[in-house]
Amino acid sequence: MNKLKIWLEQTMMISFAILVGIICEGVFYSIFMGDELSSFNLSWLQLLSIVLTGAVCSLPTVIWLTDLDIPKKKFILWQILHCIGLYVIVVLFGWLFKWYSHLDGFVVVSVIYFLVYVFVWVVSLWFHKRDDKKINKALNDIRDED
Amino acid sequence: MQVHLEKVSSKDEEQAVIKAVEITDEIRGAVELLEGDSKGFAVSKDGKTYIIKASAVYYIESVDKKTFVYTKQGCYDCKYRLYELEVMLGGYFMRCSKSMIINLQKVRNVKSQMSGRIDATLLNDEVVVISRGYVKDVKRRLGIG
Repeated sequence: MNKLKIWLEQTMMISFAILVGIICEGVFYSIFMGDELSSFNLSWLQLLSIVLTGAVCSLPTVIWLTDLDIPKKKFILWQILHCIGLYVIVVLFGWLFKWYSHLDGFVVVSVIYFLVYVFVWVVSLWFHKRDDKKINKALNDIRDED
Repeated sequence: MQVHLEKVSSKDEEQAVIKAVEITDEIRGAVELLEGDSKGFAVSKDGKTYIIKASAVYYIESVDKKTFVYTKQGCYDCKYRLYELEVMLGGYFMRCSKSMIINLQKVRNVKSQMSGRIDATLLNDEVVVISRGYVKDVKRRLGIG
Protein backbone atom coordinates (compact mmCIF):
# COMPACT_ATOMS: atom_id res chain seq x y z
CA MET A 1 0.00 0.00 0.00
CA ASN A 2 2.86 2.29 0.92
CA LYS A 3 4.66 1.48 -2.34
CA LEU A 4 1.51 2.11 -4.34
CA LYS A 5 1.20 5.52 -2.68
CA ILE A 6 4.84 6.37 -3.49
CA TRP A 7 4.32 5.19 -7.07
CA LEU A 8 1.22 7.37 -7.52
CA GLU A 9 2.93 10.38 -5.92
CA GLN A 10 6.00 9.98 -8.13
CA THR A 11 3.81 9.47 -11.23
CA MET A 12 1.93 12.69 -10.50
CA MET A 13 5.12 14.63 -9.78
CA ILE A 14 6.94 13.44 -12.92
CA SER A 15 3.89 13.85 -15.19
CA PHE A 16 3.33 17.35 -13.86
CA ALA A 17 6.99 18.23 -14.37
CA ILE A 18 6.91 16.92 -17.99
CA LEU A 19 3.78 18.97 -18.63
CA VAL A 20 5.44 22.09 -17.22
CA GLY A 21 8.47 21.32 -19.42
CA ILE A 22 6.30 21.08 -22.53
CA ILE A 23 4.49 24.31 -21.66
CA CYS A 24 7.86 26.03 -21.19
CA GLU A 25 8.92 24.65 -24.58
CA GLY A 26 5.75 26.07 -26.19
CA VAL A 27 6.27 29.47 -24.56
CA PHE A 28 9.95 29.42 -25.63
CA TYR A 29 9.03 28.71 -29.25
CA SER A 30 6.36 31.39 -29.11
CA ILE A 31 8.68 34.11 -27.76
CA PHE A 32 11.94 33.31 -29.51
CA MET A 33 10.88 31.50 -32.69
CA GLY A 34 7.78 33.53 -33.40
CA ASP A 35 5.35 30.60 -33.30
CA GLU A 36 1.71 31.41 -32.66
CA LEU A 37 0.81 30.49 -29.06
CA SER A 38 -2.65 29.44 -30.26
CA SER A 39 -1.06 26.85 -32.54
CA PHE A 40 0.37 25.12 -29.48
CA ASN A 41 -1.88 22.22 -28.47
CA LEU A 42 -1.71 18.77 -26.95
CA SER A 43 -3.65 15.76 -28.18
CA TRP A 44 -5.15 13.19 -25.82
CA LEU A 45 -2.50 10.70 -26.98
CA GLN A 46 0.27 13.08 -25.96
CA LEU A 47 -1.35 13.61 -22.55
CA LEU A 48 -1.67 9.85 -22.16
CA SER A 49 1.96 9.41 -23.14
CA ILE A 50 2.99 11.96 -20.46
CA VAL A 51 1.10 10.07 -17.72
CA LEU A 52 2.44 6.72 -18.99
CA THR A 53 5.99 8.05 -19.02
CA GLY A 54 5.52 9.36 -15.48
CA ALA A 55 4.18 5.98 -14.33
CA VAL A 56 6.96 3.96 -15.96
CA CYS A 57 9.69 6.35 -14.78
CA SER A 58 8.36 6.04 -11.22
CA LEU A 59 8.73 2.25 -11.22
CA PRO A 60 12.55 2.13 -10.85
CA THR A 61 12.31 4.61 -7.98
CA VAL A 62 9.71 2.51 -6.20
CA ILE A 63 11.45 -0.80 -6.90
CA TRP A 64 15.08 0.21 -6.29
CA LEU A 65 15.04 3.12 -3.95
CA THR A 66 12.40 2.16 -1.41
CA ASP A 67 13.74 -1.24 -0.31
CA LEU A 68 17.45 -0.66 -0.21
CA ASP A 69 19.27 1.19 2.49
CA ILE A 70 22.09 2.29 0.30
CA PRO A 71 25.22 3.73 1.92
CA LYS A 72 25.87 7.38 1.11
CA LYS A 73 28.82 6.68 -1.23
CA LYS A 74 27.01 3.99 -3.21
CA PHE A 75 23.94 6.16 -3.47
CA ILE A 76 25.66 8.54 -5.89
CA LEU A 77 26.35 5.60 -8.23
CA TRP A 78 22.71 4.48 -7.88
CA GLN A 79 21.62 8.01 -8.62
CA ILE A 80 23.64 8.14 -11.85
CA LEU A 81 22.34 4.73 -12.95
CA HIS A 82 18.81 5.81 -12.04
CA CYS A 83 19.16 9.00 -14.10
CA ILE A 84 20.50 7.11 -17.14
CA GLY A 85 17.85 4.37 -16.78
CA LEU A 86 15.03 6.91 -16.76
CA TYR A 87 16.60 8.75 -19.70
CA VAL A 88 16.50 5.52 -21.72
CA ILE A 89 12.80 5.12 -20.84
CA VAL A 90 12.04 8.73 -21.87
CA VAL A 91 13.93 8.36 -25.16
CA LEU A 92 12.07 5.12 -25.86
CA PHE A 93 8.67 6.63 -25.05
CA GLY A 94 9.57 9.73 -27.08
CA TRP A 95 10.29 7.51 -30.06
CA LEU A 96 7.10 5.44 -29.53
CA PHE A 97 4.80 8.45 -29.14
CA LYS A 98 6.61 10.56 -31.73
CA TRP A 99 7.64 13.38 -29.38
CA TYR A 100 10.48 14.11 -31.76
CA SER A 101 11.16 13.42 -35.43
CA HIS A 102 14.47 15.23 -35.89
CA LEU A 103 17.67 15.77 -33.94
CA ASP A 104 16.63 19.22 -32.63
CA GLY A 105 13.44 17.70 -31.18
CA PHE A 106 15.49 14.96 -29.58
CA VAL A 107 17.79 17.58 -28.00
CA VAL A 108 14.80 19.54 -26.66
CA VAL A 109 13.30 16.34 -25.15
CA SER A 110 16.69 15.54 -23.60
CA VAL A 111 17.00 19.02 -22.08
CA ILE A 112 13.44 18.82 -20.72
CA TYR A 113 14.22 15.38 -19.27
CA PHE A 114 17.25 16.62 -17.33
CA LEU A 115 15.38 19.72 -16.12
CA VAL A 116 12.50 17.51 -14.94
CA TYR A 117 14.93 15.14 -13.22
CA VAL A 118 16.56 18.00 -11.33
CA PHE A 119 13.14 19.51 -10.53
CA VAL A 120 11.84 16.24 -9.04
CA TRP A 121 14.94 15.82 -6.87
CA VAL A 122 14.90 19.44 -5.73
CA VAL A 123 11.25 19.04 -4.70
CA SER A 124 12.12 15.77 -2.90
CA LEU A 125 14.99 17.52 -1.13
CA TRP A 126 12.67 20.32 -0.09
CA PHE A 127 10.20 17.73 1.33
CA HIS A 128 13.06 16.09 3.26
CA LYS A 129 14.17 19.44 4.73
CA ARG A 130 10.61 20.24 5.73
CA ASP A 131 10.24 16.83 7.40
CA ASP A 132 13.56 17.30 9.23
CA LYS A 133 12.33 20.57 10.69
CA LYS A 134 9.08 18.96 11.86
CA ILE A 135 10.85 15.94 13.37
CA ASN A 136 13.49 18.05 15.11
CA LYS A 137 10.81 20.29 16.58
CA ALA A 138 8.92 17.24 17.87
CA LEU A 139 12.16 15.77 19.28
CA ASN A 140 12.87 19.03 21.14
CA ASP A 141 9.57 18.62 22.97
CA ILE A 142 10.26 15.09 24.20
CA ARG A 143 14.03 15.15 24.72
CA ASP A 144 15.28 13.61 27.93
CA GLU A 145 18.62 15.33 28.60
CA ASP A 146 21.14 13.36 30.68
CA MET B 1 -11.19 13.62 29.08
CA GLN B 2 -10.55 16.21 31.77
CA VAL B 3 -6.92 16.57 32.80
CA HIS B 4 -5.95 17.92 36.22
CA LEU B 5 -2.37 18.97 36.73
CA GLU B 6 -1.09 19.68 40.21
CA LYS B 7 2.40 20.82 41.07
CA VAL B 8 4.12 18.97 43.92
CA SER B 9 7.31 19.79 45.78
CA SER B 10 9.21 16.48 45.56
CA LYS B 11 9.77 13.61 43.13
CA ASP B 12 8.35 11.10 45.66
CA GLU B 13 4.99 12.79 45.54
CA GLU B 14 4.73 12.51 41.75
CA GLN B 15 1.94 10.23 40.58
CA ALA B 16 -0.56 9.93 37.77
CA VAL B 17 -4.10 8.62 38.16
CA ILE B 18 -6.13 7.87 35.05
CA LYS B 19 -9.86 7.25 35.41
CA ALA B 20 -11.38 5.80 32.25
CA VAL B 21 -14.42 3.77 31.20
CA GLU B 22 -12.23 1.51 29.08
CA ILE B 23 -8.51 1.06 28.50
CA THR B 24 -8.05 2.31 24.96
CA ASP B 25 -4.82 2.26 22.93
CA GLU B 26 -4.37 5.98 23.66
CA ILE B 27 -4.60 5.36 27.41
CA ARG B 28 -2.24 2.39 27.15
CA GLY B 29 0.18 4.65 25.26
CA ALA B 30 -0.10 7.35 27.93
CA VAL B 31 0.59 4.76 30.65
CA GLU B 32 3.62 3.52 28.73
CA LEU B 33 4.95 7.04 28.41
CA LEU B 34 4.41 7.79 32.09
CA GLU B 35 5.96 4.52 33.17
CA GLY B 36 8.87 4.92 30.80
CA ASP B 37 11.14 6.47 33.34
CA SER B 38 10.55 3.86 36.05
CA LYS B 39 10.76 0.79 33.80
CA GLY B 40 13.89 -1.19 34.37
CA PHE B 41 15.37 -4.37 32.98
CA ALA B 42 18.32 -6.64 33.62
CA VAL B 43 21.56 -6.30 31.68
CA SER B 44 25.04 -7.65 32.28
CA LYS B 45 28.62 -6.55 31.84
CA ASP B 46 31.84 -8.36 32.77
CA GLY B 47 29.85 -11.12 34.50
CA LYS B 48 27.92 -8.69 36.71
CA THR B 49 24.20 -8.09 36.42
CA TYR B 50 22.68 -4.64 36.64
CA ILE B 51 19.18 -3.22 36.48
CA ILE B 52 19.09 -0.20 34.24
CA LYS B 53 16.31 2.29 33.83
CA ALA B 54 14.75 2.49 30.39
CA SER B 55 15.31 6.24 30.45
CA ALA B 56 19.08 5.65 30.55
CA VAL B 57 19.08 3.71 27.28
CA TYR B 58 20.21 5.41 24.06
CA TYR B 59 19.69 2.51 21.70
CA ILE B 60 19.58 -1.27 21.57
CA GLU B 61 21.24 -3.31 18.89
CA SER B 62 21.12 -6.93 17.86
CA VAL B 63 24.34 -8.42 16.45
CA ASP B 64 24.69 -12.13 15.66
CA LYS B 65 21.59 -12.95 17.72
CA LYS B 66 23.03 -11.13 20.75
CA THR B 67 21.42 -8.03 22.16
CA PHE B 68 23.47 -5.03 23.26
CA VAL B 69 22.13 -2.09 25.22
CA TYR B 70 23.92 1.25 24.86
CA THR B 71 23.79 3.90 27.58
CA LYS B 72 25.90 6.93 28.47
CA GLN B 73 27.96 4.65 30.74
CA GLY B 74 28.69 2.08 28.05
CA CYS B 75 27.49 -1.08 26.40
CA TYR B 76 25.75 -3.97 28.19
CA ASP B 77 24.63 -7.46 27.17
CA CYS B 78 20.96 -8.22 27.46
CA LYS B 79 19.17 -11.58 27.53
CA TYR B 80 16.04 -10.25 25.89
CA ARG B 81 15.51 -10.30 22.14
CA LEU B 82 14.90 -7.10 20.25
CA TYR B 83 11.20 -7.77 19.65
CA GLU B 84 10.68 -8.50 23.36
CA LEU B 85 12.32 -5.22 24.36
CA GLU B 86 10.28 -3.36 21.77
CA VAL B 87 7.08 -4.57 23.45
CA MET B 88 8.46 -4.20 26.99
CA LEU B 89 9.73 -0.66 26.63
CA GLY B 90 7.13 0.88 24.32
CA GLY B 91 6.76 4.65 24.65
CA TYR B 92 9.43 6.45 22.68
CA PHE B 93 11.43 3.31 22.04
CA MET B 94 11.08 2.67 18.33
CA ARG B 95 12.42 0.14 15.88
CA CYS B 96 14.65 2.17 13.55
CA SER B 97 16.03 -0.73 11.52
CA LYS B 98 15.74 -4.51 11.49
CA SER B 99 18.48 -4.79 14.09
CA MET B 100 18.04 -1.67 16.20
CA ILE B 101 15.69 0.05 18.63
CA ILE B 102 16.25 3.73 19.30
CA ASN B 103 15.13 5.86 22.23
CA LEU B 104 13.68 8.93 20.55
CA GLN B 105 14.10 10.91 23.76
CA LYS B 106 17.86 10.61 23.35
CA VAL B 107 17.99 11.97 19.81
CA ARG B 108 19.54 15.43 19.48
CA ASN B 109 18.60 15.98 15.85
CA VAL B 110 17.93 14.24 12.56
CA LYS B 111 19.03 14.80 8.98
CA SER B 112 17.38 13.15 5.98
CA GLN B 113 19.52 11.63 3.28
CA MET B 114 18.51 11.61 -0.38
CA SER B 115 18.20 7.83 -0.20
CA GLY B 116 15.24 8.32 2.13
CA ARG B 117 16.93 7.13 5.29
CA ILE B 118 17.47 9.45 8.24
CA ASP B 119 20.69 9.96 10.19
CA ALA B 120 19.87 10.51 13.85
CA THR B 121 22.50 12.13 16.07
CA LEU B 122 22.14 11.03 19.67
CA LEU B 123 22.95 13.03 22.79
CA ASN B 124 26.30 11.22 23.00
CA ASP B 125 27.09 12.35 19.41
CA GLU B 126 26.77 8.85 18.00
CA VAL B 127 24.93 8.70 14.70
CA VAL B 128 22.43 5.91 14.08
CA VAL B 129 20.47 5.27 10.93
CA ILE B 130 16.69 5.26 10.79
CA SER B 131 15.94 3.06 7.77
CA ARG B 132 13.47 4.44 5.26
CA GLY B 133 11.03 1.62 6.05
CA TYR B 134 10.72 2.83 9.64
CA VAL B 135 10.67 6.59 9.03
CA LYS B 136 6.90 6.66 8.79
CA ASP B 137 6.48 4.87 12.15
CA VAL B 138 8.88 7.31 13.80
CA LYS B 139 6.94 10.28 12.42
CA ARG B 140 3.68 8.75 13.56
CA ARG B 141 5.06 8.20 17.06
CA LEU B 142 6.12 11.84 17.18
CA GLY B 143 2.64 12.88 16.12
CA ILE B 144 3.60 14.26 12.73
CA GLY B 145 2.88 11.26 10.49
